[in-house]
Amino acid sequence: MALFTTRRSRRFRLQGTRNLRSAGFFLREKRWLIFAMVVGVLLHMAPVPDGLTYAGKTVLVISVVAVILFVTEPVPLPAVAFMIVIAQILMLKDVNSKQVAESLMSDSVFFIMGSLMLAVAIVKQKLDKRLAYLIVRMTGTKTLNVAVGIALVSGIMASVIGEHTVAAMMLPVAIILITLTSDDPKKVRGLAAVLLFSIAYGCSIAGIGTPSGGARNAIMIGYWKEFFYEGNEATQQYLVDYVSWVKVCYPVFLAQLPFVIGILFFTFKPEYKHLNRAVVRLRTQVEKEGPMKSSDWIAIMVFFMTLLGWIFFSSTIGLGTIALLGAVAYMVLGLVRWEDLNSGVNWGVVWLYAAAISLGIQMKDTGAALWVADSFIGVLPSGMDSGIGLYASVSALTTIVTNTMSNGAAVAVLGPISLKMAISAGENPLILGYITAISSAFAYLTVIGTPACTIVYASGYLKTTDFLKVGWKMVIMSTLVLLAFAMFYWPAIGL
Amino acid sequence: MRTALLSDENGTDDEHGSHRFNILVCIDGSKESTRGLRYAVKIGQGNDADITLLYVRPLDKGMKSGVGLARQNMVDWGIELPGMRALKKARDQLFELGFLDGDWKEEDTRKRVYGDPVGDTMKTYTDKNGTHIALKLMIAPNVAAGILDECELNEYDLTILAMHGRGAANVRGKIKWKTTRTVVTEHHGTVLLAREIEENHGHLICVNDEKSIEAARQDAILASRCQCPVFLLSVAETEEQLPEAKEAIVKARNVIEAAGVEVVDAWTDIGDPAEMIIERGKDYSVIVMADSSVKGFRRFFQSSVAYDVLQHAYNSVMIIR
Repeated sequence: MALFTTRRSRRFRLQGTRNLRSAGFFLREKRWLIFAMVVGVLLHMAPVPDGLTYAGKTVLVISVVAVILFVTEPVPLPAVAFMIVIAQILMLKDVNSKQVAESLMSDSVFFIMGSLMLAVAIVKQKLDKRLAYLIVRMTGTKTLNVAVGIALVSGIMASVIGEHTVAAMMLPVAIILITLTSDDPKKVRGLAAVLLFSIAYGCSIAGIGTPSGGARNAIMIGYWKEFFYEGNEATQQYLVDYVSWVKVCYPVFLAQLPFVIGILFFTFKPEYKHLNRAVVRLRTQVEKEGPMKSSDWIAIMVFFMTLLGWIFFSSTIGLGTIALLGAVAYMVLGLVRWEDLNSGVNWGVVWLYAAAISLGIQMKDTGAALWVADSFIGVLPSGMDSGIGLYASVSALTTIVTNTMSNGAAVAVLGPISLKMAISAGENPLILGYITAISSAFAYLTVIGTPACTIVYASGYLKTTDFLKVGWKMVIMSTLVLLAFAMFYWPAIGL
Repeated sequence: MRTALLSDENGTDDEHGSHRFNILVCIDGSKESTRGLRYAVKIGQGNDADITLLYVRPLDKGMKSGVGLARQNMVDWGIELPGMRALKKARDQLFELGFLDGDWKEEDTRKRVYGDPVGDTMKTYTDKNGTHIALKLMIAPNVAAGILDECELNEYDLTILAMHGRGAANVRGKIKWKTTRTVVTEHHGTVLLAREIEENHGHLICVNDEKSIEAARQDAILASRCQCPVFLLSVAETEEQLPEAKEAIVKARNVIEAAGVEVVDAWTDIGDPAEMIIERGKDYSVIVMADSSVKGFRRFFQSSVAYDVLQHAYNSVMIIR
């Protein structure tokens, strides 16, 4: 049985080469790439529609091909990002490589890079056991209270740092509670679903609470500035700062929280009403950690300094700059090694967002976004093309798209269209922008919808059908809450 | 890559001395894979075999930021990854069935692959007779690629895959069938697709040409060692082809009986081969077929009887190479 160790080099050679071994295998694996390319060629050969420029049509063709590749993933997603970059340079006559390169880097992309590094740095501090202790002290042993505690703590944290960080930290807490209750997964199916979805949906509904809660928020803030800010007082409102965002969005998160717990308990009906034994054993386990060390306090302090930086300085130096500053502080203070950041951050995600935002800007510049926005409004039935009807339509469109790709990519793709739709319909672009960003969190239906969903699914306790079973109820609830806020609360605060 | 299910009647490997029969069982935590494992034990106990249990975890690609962090966190808390939980459950089943004799030695190995810090994990258990059980938690771009990598590296005599329901019968069936089809198409060794597998109903071996007759001989030897009765079937598409089908049965029976194995019964049918085999095969533990002659690029466009049976049969199918 030494084969496992002696044949490692061959295993490495096998990685990635299988596709080349058989033409039939290659065609099967790459069929969506072929499909996307065929669709792209056919659309490119089609006549330019009325009201759209040739460059606009080309950008739309690139977007359609990119969306097919985002959803089906026949090639690694960073490769799709580079394909978008290359396609822009080669297919758009008035665009050169320097312009595309410039459009790839923005404060939003700095924010995505910085927040991914912060995520790794925070997880490396091993504060999850402290959090577990805090939750069980706060909630007692009643299952309902534990679920509320997990959802609330996950939500509060996910509203200020990336949801994947929070889900990664909270997952072991939930699994320990489940396994200490019963070793047999079948006996704790309902309990596992309630606790794990409390993490995932707690994170999802809270990610829109503050601008630093997710890439989608930073992307939308970037789009408002890029599309509408003209450097004068009249357009100052489109420079949305941290506190303004919180005033609009945080109450939406808080209002959803009790409904989430209600839906989870109604859908999964946990087998145990009390988790006495599990909570006691978890307490014993986390108490072994001993008192907080000085490095723990420094790590927490750096995080709060970053948070304060976002609140007070993001409108002047940008969310991204502060996120990078926080990540650098962790490295300078020796709280995390570069090697850990380098291996823990999915740098491909940064490239993907950068390329998607760059494409979004091209959609605006070539008039493609406006054309799609007008066409979308044109097909909406009477009553749905303005006011609450339009809000519901945009929310529904975003919900569909975000369930098939990451919420950041959904906002990057749909953001320009929503904002142009607001102009065409005579609506406030801030409202439609908020609706798009918030609705992008409604990716409750699939495992791949949000990083938090993917993480809790990785525990092995959930089935893909569980997401559908509870997800549709969540979509309806979240949409109704959002529309209620758009109708009553936002006008009341002067939006 | 091993080209025959059994190198000779004694199951020995001339170049490296004694060859132990090597079975790979793909575990996914389902009831079907548990039943497949029981069948592996039945075959293994008659054939002096080692069993490797494999669970493939797809690589975290695309936008799955944080899953790696979560997984690392789970390991740091001492929580077992879901794949290892399924493998250990299967291992316990092997212990209960008495696959290992007396005390055994344990060994753990972990290797970082695809840049994943958790990487591949393996536990091996070896008893005093040198019988091994290996538990492998492997990461790969997808499940099919992981199984194929493992088969290519370690030259298994038999690979057992579990599948619930008929391929393409519904959406779920189609998804499962995609993985199964890729493994069966690309694999160079013998594959058993375990589907509602029940012991003691015998092997229905399908024959039509020289290649299938050799495959029949190999399977008959394997089946007889684990006390599985052997039956033969040959299907002629038309009345005119019936003499050829009967001749194939006679040849197969002679070859099998020359190897010291009794053929309990044999039939020749007329009709669509895939449909007839599926219908008659319902009552047996396993339908056994030789590999299709349709290879490589052509397989993308063209199906074969073996693959039709594999996809649409109600019960287990073994493709012998």
